[in-house]
Amino acid sequence: MRARRSVSFLPVDGTGGRFCVLTEPPGEPRGAVLYVHPFAEEMNKSRRMAALAAQEFATRGWLVLQIDLHGCGDSSDDFGDASWADWLTDIDAAWRWLEGRGVGTVCLWSLRAGSLVIADWIKTRGTVAPLLLWQPVIDGRQHLTQFLRLKGVSQMMEESDAKTAIAKVKAELESGQSVEVAGYTLSPNLVTGLQGARLELPTEYPAPVALLEVGGAEGGLSPGLVALAQRWEARGIKVTHAGNPGPAFWQTLEIEVAPALIDASSSVLEGFPT
Amino acid sequence: MDIKKEVLAILDEVLSLNGRTADFALDTPLLGAVPELDSMAVVGVINMLEERFGFVVEDDEIDGATFATVGSLVAFVEGKLS
Repeated sequence: MRARRSVSFLPVDGTGGRFCVLTEPPGEPRGAVLYVHPFAEEMNKSRRMAALAAQEFATRGWLVLQIDLHGCGDSSDDFGDASWADWLTDIDAAWRWLEGRGVGTVCLWSLRAGSLVIADWIKTRGTVAPLLLWQPVIDGRQHLTQFLRLKGVSQMMEESDAKTAIAKVKAELESGQSVEVAGYTLSPNLVTGLQGARLELPTEYPAPVALLEVGGAEGGLSPGLVALAQRWEARGIKVTHAGNPGPAFWQTLEIEVAPALIDASSSVLEGFPT
Repeated sequence: MDIKKEVLAILDEVLSLNGRTADFALDTPLLGAVPELDSMAVVGVINMLEERFGFVVEDDEIDGATFATVGSLVAFVEGKLS
């Protein structure tokens, strides 16, 4: 028996529907997994990998819900309409929906900046869930800087002044205007939330947390995440951290996949309480 | 840490070069010579250098010359780590 996939729009108060993909296991679910996607272009690059993983998790008994946050993917409105607060509200709606299915534990799974949305949601809602974080972004400000860099580098390639271009975008954001970078319009409400977000968890967070990285032939660990894992451990958080071989599929030129990451994730989910 | 090896691995990965960097030397030209290296890819490489090596690149530190050759990019990383 195979996992079954269906799409629907989850209504969210006042701002239309969120495109959702639900992947259901063949039998009775052992629990549920909610996927929170990364930011902007990284979401598009990683669609295939997320779909393959959802399929695999469902085959192993998990009910998997993938939601396109407000203004992203096939959800209502444009990226420029999205705010950070909307995204947290979207997680509320998806969480309630999954809880309503009554299938036991609901785990949160993220890629890249999805980890920041999850961390902020946990902090503001006080909810507890086992976490499967793929290549998490630690610092929203740095992530925004990396994104704005697209503006500067395209200027650099045209041999004009990259520094001036980035400074101009930053000044526009600070004065409360929306800016356009690489085809994405960023509203001040989104930028403020993103740059204030940090990957942090409450001391003695009572559910297991898995940080999974991918990269290169050996699957090395990033220094920033090694330090974060040590800090969390010292604060009584049950965290595991592992690297896996494979390409950085969220940003590679071609659409690529990292099967080793999916296998490792299946094992992690297996160990989560149900 | 073998910085040149790490830098080549990152280039290979971000640009989906399928091992072509195995033939790259320090004087191999990059910008303008490797067609996959467009602005999106340059940003991808900078971002991954930051995350893999654990440093932060400021807006005014990078210009076209940094990506001229493998050697100039390796020298940039060495400078950041020293």
